[in-house]
Amino acid sequence: MTFRRIAVGTLLCGLVACAGVLGLTTRGSSREFPHRAHVVAGVSCTRCHAGIDTLPTGGSATPQAPDGSPALHLPDDASCTTCHAKPHDTRSCLGCHVAPTALAELAEARDHLIFDHARHLTGTNGNCMRCHTGVADGDDHMRPLMTTCFRCHSDATRDARKCEVCHKDLNESGTVPATHLAHDGDWMREHGSRAASSADLCESCHKQAFCASCHGVTAPALPSVRRFADPFAASVHRAGFLARHSLEARSEPGKCASCHTPDRCESCHTQRKIAGDQGASPHPRGWVGLSAADNQHGREARRDPVSCAGCHSGAGEALCVTCHVVGGVGGNPHPPGWSSRQPLSNLPCRLCHTTGTTGTTGLVRPSASGARAR
Amino acid sequence: MTSALPASCTSRRTARPLLVAASLGCALGAAPAVADPLRLRADALATTASPTGLLVLDAGGATEPGLSAEAVVWIAGGHALDDSSHGDVLVIAVEGHSRDGTRAARLGRFVATLGALRPVHLDGGSARLRLPERIDVELCAGVPVVPGLSTGRPSDWLVGGRLARRIGDWGSAGVAYEQRRDDGRRVTEEIGLDAGASLGRRDDVGARLAYDLINPGLAEVGLTASHRASSVRTELYALHRAASHLLPATSLFSVIGDVPAQRAGAVITWTAAPRLDVIADAGARRVDSDYGAELTLRARLKLDPRGVSAVTGELRRSGVGNDMWTGARGSGRFALPYAFAVSTELELVRPDQARGRGSLWPWGLAAVSWDHGPWQAAVAVEASASPEYRSRLDALFQLARRWEAP
Repeated sequence: MTFRRIAVGTLLCGLVACAGVLGLTTRGSSREFPHRAHVVAGVSCTRCHAGIDTLPTGGSATPQAPDGSPALHLPDDASCTTCHAKPHDTRSCLGCHVAPTALAELAEARDHLIFDHARHLTGTNGNCMRCHTGVADGDDHMRPLMTTCFRCHSDATRDARKCEVCHKDLNESGTVPATHLAHDGDWMREHGSRAASSADLCESCHKQAFCASCHGVTAPALPSVRRFADPFAASVHRAGFLARHSLEARSEPGKCASCHTPDRCESCHTQRKIAGDQGASPHPRGWVGLSAADNQHGREARRDPVSCAGCHSGAGEALCVTCHVVGGVGGNPHPPGWSSRQPLSNLPCRLCHTTGTTGTTGLVRPSASGARAR
Repeated sequence: MTSALPASCTSRRTARPLLVAASLGCALGAAPAVADPLRLRADALATTASPTGLLVLDAGGATEPGLSAEAVVWIAGGHALDDSSHGDVLVIAVEGHSRDGTRAARLGRFVATLGALRPVHLDGGSARLRLPERIDVELCAGVPVVPGLSTGRPSDWLVGGRLARRIGDWGSAGVAYEQRRDDGRRVTEEIGLDAGASLGRRDDVGARLAYDLINPGLAEVGLTASHRASSVRTELYALHRAASHLLPATSLFSVIGDVPAQRAGAVITWTAAPRLDVIADAGARRVDSDYGAELTLRARLKLDPRGVSAVTGELRRSGVGNDMWTGARGSGRFALPYAFAVSTELELVRPDQARGRGSLWPWGLAAVSWDHGPWQAAVAVEASASPEYRSRLDALFQLARRWEAP
């Protein structure tokens, strides 16, 4: 019996601790303000949010809060008790009747948005719901989306990326528009598709150095190396990437070439003595052979020719056409149905089609030493 | 190329000191000369892995409204981290835009993006025009950057453009074209199509397609669609990439055929609790005749409201065919008094086929960092066993200082 009590007690303590760690307890101790019930009861917004229709939000003209910061136009206890004559508690109403994130968001908006409620109430005929469309859903969605602003305001400001018209210290603030915050999920994979149609939107926050740290061919080090003390920094090269990079490269052919020049493989492998004149071959056993069973290189080359070009580009390509030529051991290098708009006088056609004609009559069998380099 | 090599080498040698001087001058000298808001950051990184010392200078600022500049240069000592060069310019660009934002231009070294086409690191210029009827025009031209403080060959150049149309305030669609010449020869010619839209408050879609015009065929296709509902975001994605089309058309490897790789799946991001995010990725890959699964389950628990301290755990199954692997990773960062923080990261990878390279590849890193005012410092120890090394122990050091003009 004692053991059961101890077990139950331990379990309860664990659950309470977990709730605290997960951030659940803060939410449980407060409630969202019932805006909808007040509107239905006929209480106008400005009756509680006094001064919002006459004074600008933020700035020197705004009444000061007790801590010295500009007021948020939130109702005080006196406003509540004009109707709720018998409050159930002696504590401040806003201490409980507000969502935990709402006050922080309001303070962020006051500090980082240039906005005047008074002017907007005139334009909206005093209808707060025209902007605060989510008020009925609870305090979590009090701040209108930026798209709401552009229902009335000209798109020119947004299209010109003139963020400073409305935003202050955007990079430091928590008021980055929701449309800018889709950096969740697998953003490393997703960002290419997103940025394709809105690169200038990305540039409103990210400078060139940010893009070039991955896509620049002269990047000095991998971002993960330069930010080794931040384990949450996004990078495709996180943790032990060096060990598994060959597996990842073979699983996503061509992906490495999205950022790296093909000679990156060779320079690194040569430096580590995995390839090059004095290094061992990076290829496994059975890479090249006379039988199909001992010939992995053809299959791998077709899958990811970019990897092959990493070392065998330029003059090294002549190595291929010593075998892969009509009548040679490797046979025709073109797959069935191959066609190209390239003139035969261009590289790489002229490595084999020396006379510039089609068919086997124009073909020569180049030797490794005799083939012309690019 | 053989005949052009001496001339290009000469031009590179001539250009190097000029480029270095210009870059360092911009990075170092610009800061005190102008006001508001100018920034300069210096990062020093040393690692015993190569061993290498690296100094990165990052400067930027706006000299006047509508005109800004940015530069990142680096110098490495010992064995360079990525290649044989010991210094280079990552970015050095001046950007200007009109007061109403309808015209913008950039000049220098930068990463040019043209819709669905792959980004290009370029020495040149770009411009963007916003025309009436919500039409945008983007143009770029220049010499593709080559590593090593060189300016490339005059006969290497790239030109491209994108024409896009914004649709309401919720989307846009564009078409891009790019042609690249290497030693005067046409090596890349692609056309790209892109589209993106926000469908209401909860849904958005994005699509991009790049088509190779020299060896006709699809080079890359990417599709993504996401839906947000309360604390859950669901994304469906599909990717198609034909590596042979990513090669220069002058490469012999471009003639061996079109073997595309595909990947498709779904990612669910769930805010399970105010401080707990769970991300699940379930997908499939296909490379030639091989198939594989891409499965990831990741959870991140913030230990404070801002997430400065947090722990993550991740399980992953990835690869295709004989290149499948299974991995587990855990990481954590914990804020300490006096602006200190400790972080650690552990990973264990098990390849399906060891091939004599070890059946387990563990990797671990423990770091202590200090971030106080303009100063940042960090020291870490990294230990690993990999196909290359039976065991390896390295140390990393970093020191950074930033300055900002008022």
